[in-house]
Amino acid sequence: MKDHDTPPQSGQRRIDWGHLALLLLICGVVVTYLLDARATSLKINNLLLVEPAAIIALILAAFVLPQCFRRKSEDGDAAADSPPENWHNLAKVAALAAAFGAFALSLEVAGFDVATFLFVALGLYICGERKLWVIALFSAVFTLVIVYGYQMLVPYPFPLRIL
Amino acid sequence: MLDLTAIGDALSILSSSYIAWIYLIPGLLIGLFFGAMPGISITMAMAIFLPLTLYMDFLPAIIFLTSIYTGAGFGGSVPAVLMNIPGTSSAVATTFDGYPMARQGRHNQALGVALASSVVGTLSSYILLLFLIAPVAAVVLKMGPLEMFAIATWGMLLLGALAGTSLWRGLLAGVFGVLLGTVGMNTAGFVRGTMGVPWLLDGIPTIPAMMGLLAASQLLNLINTHYLIEDEADRKISFTRIIEGVKLAFQYPTIIFRGATIGVIIGAIPGVGSSISNLISYAETKRNAPDSDSFGQGNPKGVIAAEAANSSSEGGAMATMLALGIPGGGATAILLAAFAMHNIVGGPSFIGNNKDIVYAIIFSNFAQAILLLFVGLAFVYAASAVVRVPLRFLIPSVLVVSTFGSYAIEGSLSGPITLVIFSVIGWAMVRYHYPVAAVVVGLLLGSLLEQNLIRTWQISRGDLSYALERPGALLIFALMLLSIGITSFSVWRRRRRAAAEALTSEEIGS
Repeated sequence: MKDHDTPPQSGQRRIDWGHLALLLLICGVVVTYLLDARATSLKINNLLLVEPAAIIALILAAFVLPQCFRRKSEDGDAAADSPPENWHNLAKVAALAAAFGAFALSLEVAGFDVATFLFVALGLYICGERKLWVIALFSAVFTLVIVYGYQMLVPYPFPLRIL
Repeated sequence: MLDLTAIGDALSILSSSYIAWIYLIPGLLIGLFFGAMPGISITMAMAIFLPLTLYMDFLPAIIFLTSIYTGAGFGGSVPAVLMNIPGTSSAVATTFDGYPMARQGRHNQALGVALASSVVGTLSSYILLLFLIAPVAAVVLKMGPLEMFAIATWGMLLLGALAGTSLWRGLLAGVFGVLLGTVGMNTAGFVRGTMGVPWLLDGIPTIPAMMGLLAASQLLNLINTHYLIEDEADRKISFTRIIEGVKLAFQYPTIIFRGATIGVIIGAIPGVGSSISNLISYAETKRNAPDSDSFGQGNPKGVIAAEAANSSSEGGAMATMLALGIPGGGATAILLAAFAMHNIVGGPSFIGNNKDIVYAIIFSNFAQAILLLFVGLAFVYAASAVVRVPLRFLIPSVLVVSTFGSYAIEGSLSGPITLVIFSVIGWAMVRYHYPVAAVVVGLLLGSLLEQNLIRTWQISRGDLSYALERPGALLIFALMLLSIGITSFSVWRRRRRAAAEALTSEEIGS
């Protein structure tokens, strides 16, 4: 008998934790939103679209849920369905996402110029640039161009610290 | 349909002075540049230059602003192809195949295809406008909330067609997007889901959310890649290949014509416009194509369909604006403001009394479309250089540009915060094969769906038989069901054929 004809062994399931977490997050947001909408008012003008849409979303999530649990024999499919965990890559993505979040929150506190310089420098480092002079020069020139460029184009003032 | 005397007057107005023409190229360049800058919308570009038109005569002012409109309409497709960032909401469908083409090293061709489709789309929409301005005005006046709801639902159901590997995930993503699109205060005055955050009263800022879902999420995914196009040989910027792309677009006149027609019709409906027409055109082309499986993986037909529709929406929106004085979106609202600045009131009386001006505007748009081909070629050639930039420089730079763009929309941190949150959500969704485009479409349509559903409910007082009094809406629903039925049937037939072929090849193998 060929390998792929081997029947799946019962009980051997692979849980796609990342996908499960995402699905739970979506369901959490939907349920919280529905409860908030119902707490606001039970009138039709408030719930006409929100309530049916939330219920449909939860039903659809129930259909997706089994896709988070795969038999080990379906590994071929499962691998194609969710990428293999590479902790080094995930750590880089997490670091960049965290830096991006900190950048967005610090824009008005640190000033667009300082925040941009620091984020670009850190981003370059996370993305693999190791020459310090390149990091410093590129970050400085890019910050100058983007700050002055957007100041010319956009009617809103950008809070700045140095420039 | 055509008033020949007015046409003659229009031609003499345009040929009597060079003043109206000198603003064409600057307008196109401004539009291309702003359209290609993520976060700076067509509306913003036109708004920034609106005060300048105070010092111009009426016709040159309108020609200048419509040139910006035309340029920005195509400009949005440049970052859509090269970076998966739709510069404007109307370039969402361009990213579906444009970006995969760029990743395969066919960025020159993709941009050429997009440019030619935009040019032909704009041109054909204004030709259609020339003949159809009067009948279009009559139809648009009859559109009620139920018809608008029907069209928005059609847009929603396209999510099924656009969904990736799993239909359930596609639909879940779409409904999730719709729910997010209804956050904030609805038309009846109820405030939901704001968590006490004041800026959420107006809803989740759609443009930053869209930039986060479609672009920033992709950038996070590219962190371990060195170049946008991995193969060095494919990274060349080739004028010949751009021209090849231009020629390729002309091989699919049916797709362009279909896109242009959809664009004009949908673009004429106030509040819907180009952000939906490109999706409907994309889905219709995918449905009709024999190679529909390759859509989303770099099929140039997808780019042609999207670009022909979004650029032709301009003609449709102009029809509503000129004929009824109703702005279909932000850009036509700016044009109406320009009308007002010159003490001219748009609407049926304007078109009745100033047909020569209306025809002059239409003719100048023909010239804009033709000039766009040449100005756009030079612009695209310069913009293609982005594929040669190492991603370690591109990723933080584009994230910063997106952040500045998202801040520029409201002038507050609401944009950047939304951008970050949705980029992380988008990254997770892309990772587990949820079509983020479905969330984007849902987000765009959520408030429109709710608004029209509430209005229909209020008008009908909950009586379902009201639908029978609206044959237009019934026709749209019927077309929608027919379209879904045909799609399901063709998918079923294709799967059956594929299964039969697999069986035959297995038999031959054994």
